[in-house]
Amino acid sequence: MVKKRVPDWLNSSLWSSPHPPSPSPYDDGEDYRLRRSSSAAESTVQPPVPVPPPSATRPEPPKVEIRDRMNDSSDNGGSGSGTPSVEDISRQAQLVQELSRKVINVGELRRLASQGIPDGAGIRSTVWKLLLGYLPVDRGLWSSELAKKRSQYKHFKEELLMNPSEITRRLEKSTSSENEESKCGTRGLLPRSEITQGEHPLSLGKTSIWNQFFQDTEIIEQIDRDVKRTHPGMHFFSGDSQLAKSNQEALKNILIVFAKLNPGIRYVQGMNEILAPLFYVFRNDPNEENTAFVEADTFFCFVELLSGFRDHFCQQLDNSVVGIRSTITKLSRLLKEHDEELWRHLEVTTKVNPQFYAFRWITLLLTQEFNFADSLIIWDTLLSDPEGPLETLLRVCIAMLILVRRRLLAGDFTSNLKLLQHYPSTNISHLLYVANKLRTQSAY
Amino acid sequence: MVLVLAIGDLHIPHRAPDLPPKFKSMLVPGKIQHIICTGNLCIKEVHDYLKSLCPSLHITRGEYDEDARYPETKTLTIGQFKLGLCHGHQVVPWGDLDSLAMLQRQLDVDILVSGHTHQFKAYKHEGGVVINPGSATGAYSSITYDVNPSFVLMDIDGLRVVVYVYELIDGEVKVDKIDFKKTATAATH
Repeated sequence: MVKKRVPDWLNSSLWSSPHPPSPSPYDDGEDYRLRRSSSAAESTVQPPVPVPPPSATRPEPPKVEIRDRMNDSSDNGGSGSGTPSVEDISRQAQLVQELSRKVINVGELRRLASQGIPDGAGIRSTVWKLLLGYLPVDRGLWSSELAKKRSQYKHFKEELLMNPSEITRRLEKSTSSENEESKCGTRGLLPRSEITQGEHPLSLGKTSIWNQFFQDTEIIEQIDRDVKRTHPGMHFFSGDSQLAKSNQEALKNILIVFAKLNPGIRYVQGMNEILAPLFYVFRNDPNEENTAFVEADTFFCFVELLSGFRDHFCQQLDNSVVGIRSTITKLSRLLKEHDEELWRHLEVTTKVNPQFYAFRWITLLLTQEFNFADSLIIWDTLLSDPEGPLETLLRVCIAMLILVRRRLLAGDFTSNLKLLQHYPSTNISHLLYVANKLRTQSAY
Repeated sequence: MVLVLAIGDLHIPHRAPDLPPKFKSMLVPGKIQHIICTGNLCIKEVHDYLKSLCPSLHITRGEYDEDARYPETKTLTIGQFKLGLCHGHQVVPWGDLDSLAMLQRQLDVDILVSGHTHQFKAYKHEGGVVINPGSATGAYSSITYDVNPSFVLMDIDGLRVVVYVYELIDGEVKVDKIDFKKTATAATH
């Protein structure tokens, strides 16, 4: 039952080369609009007249979230940047309406969000929190849940980020009262006292807090290095500004707390890249109450998001059924099902082992392959698709391959590898549409 | 939280071949931020060894040190504390706490670290605190043959210092601690 022939709709010449980057997503003309939404029934569309957002939306001015990028790459495929389309506005209104219900219908939210969350109303933060299960669907429970989780994070920080000096001081306070020997003018030998629980800084004991502290220092240094290298082109993350420094501090704290709470996996390079978009979106939440607790919210959502992909980060599981190699094999199998010709050419003829390109695509959830704005839109789909982020991710990867199939089929090992490791900028809605189509075609 | 190792009077190789193995196993690089050494190492190899534990190494000259370039006294500031360092053979009577207190006032430091007697001492007076880390190898001194190897690790945390005393008694490492605080307004000397 494996499809050997490439389906007709894939053979259209539209798919063969990436769309040229364009400041406005509408230069492609009507075709773009056709492919954009799978449920739209419109066949012809005029360029949208700038329509003021319906008054049902919140009164704050539409905020363009991605405003501060230092590099000037154009927003191809970025929905909502520039003039929002009629469809965007309507979807935004629908999302806002859904969010304002007393009990939110997650299925409906997923359906709307998977087409992309417009930037206009600053709702992405809330939608992601709902999709990741951080916020309960019943609005009435939001404040109590949030308070609980936020205070929990505060406790984590206090306990885990304390250095051993402070810990021993607190232990002592609880066992004995302070000596009164610090009066000026007394002379004499200072009294010696016993150390509490055999704890001293040079202790080599496995359970010694000092020993653990020194072992953790290595990890903290690694985290520090990686955080400093995250998205060096963005003012939000990098540079000497107060904003960048405080954001880096927050990212570090989250990763350190995570590493200490998860001794099995600790910190692995790449986790910072998965954390970054979450933090960015939550930090840009227009609601001030939320940004005050952005660290706590991001921490729990990070844990939730990572839970589906943890095994990719565990080296011991690399060769197991749940490890990264097995996922890459799955990707390869999917490619063979959907486009055997391409699969054969890539893996057999030109010997481009999927590990060479797909490893980064999969473990870092495509954050490194597209510009930041586009990766947020891809994450909208990844987080909202009912099939789950991993399955969706694989479909998007296949779509990425299919979109450049003509170039791949014409290329050899070197050019193909180069192409896939520096994936060309592309129309994101287009990409997601193809990925969506693959769902109905899959053989399993 | 700054960890400072106070150590000295090793007298390697003349009076002792090396540090006791139990001490050596605990002294690993990466944990200590500063080393202050009272002197009488005596040779360059010991200097290099200490340097490998921590790049911030401060030494004063003991009467048997082969390197003549070490200073007679040294002062440094770590956190909120001023520390003074001197081998101690210059202060007579040797080990006399009043004379050491005078030196401390001269150097104007909160904590004076001094050696020569090979006996651990921690003494408080109006001008501050005097600490003698003893001899880390247990080498005999000009005064006595009965010396337990010892050294001192100070944990300076704000206005508070926790002094951990490491001694080798009957082949076992024994650790004690001493707590003291500096008052926010420095004691008048």
